[in-house]
Amino acid sequence: MRPVQTAEHPGTAEHLPAFLDFIDNACRGAGVDEDASMALRLAVEEVCLNLIRYGYADASPGPIALEFRVEDDAIRLTVRDRAPPFDPRDAPAPDLTSDVLTRPLGGLGLHLVRCLMDEISYCSDTERGNRLTLLKRSAISGKDD
Amino acid sequence: MEVSANDMGEVTVVAIRGNVDGLTADQLMEHFTAHVAAGKVRLVADCAGLDYTSSAGLRTLLGTVKAARQKGGDLRLAAVRPPVLKVLQLSGFTSILKSYDDVPAAVASYAA
Repeated sequence: MRPVQTAEHPGTAEHLPAFLDFIDNACRGAGVDEDASMALRLAVEEVCLNLIRYGYADASPGPIALEFRVEDDAIRLTVRDRAPPFDPRDAPAPDLTSDVLTRPLGGLGLHLVRCLMDEISYCSDTERGNRLTLLKRSAISGKDD
Repeated sequence: MEVSANDMGEVTVVAIRGNVDGLTADQLMEHFTAHVAAGKVRLVADCAGLDYTSSAGLRTLLGTVKAARQKGGDLRLAAVRPPVLKVLQLSGFTSILKSYDDVPAAVASYAA
């Protein structure tokens, strides 16, 4: 049996701590390595903040639902929302090379998510909303697949 | 997150412990902004106790190094641990922020 944990809260800034607590506790409970835990926490923070600040910016905030699933030594994290569709894979690449004084301050969050996750998939439909799935492989040491 | 500051000669060492994220980055920015406003622009961020940073923390570091350099100073990093270093590398920050093994080396770099 594969352990699955879920959490759902309104997509507002005051609920960000609840989302972060959820991923911290889920990683700890599943024995996820330090590096992978950091990557998954960062993914939850960046994706949720993006939904809170942009996805739900022009409407009354809808829900954000997280699902944490252990698959052998990997973690599959699913994020569901009801914001206007936005595929994080389509976010523009940030400027990583310009001089410090001219380098823009933003645009790094989803870039980091893309770098730190091994697989990203996204689908959207009007009935079920949006679903972002993130896979982190080799997240649990000593667990054979 | 906990932040404390210690003046070592003309260099201000800001020790950051815990997580810098969307919940705490504004607090860290306030610390750095106050130092720069007070003319303390030779800054070292002691990252020995820094467990985690998201893009919110990176924005704080970038905003601070911009402000410090515009006033003739700098923000330099010390004792960055591997998980945080990875985020800095992926974000292209290791090419714009000088990083040292420990606080004494980062402080001494201002005398060079």
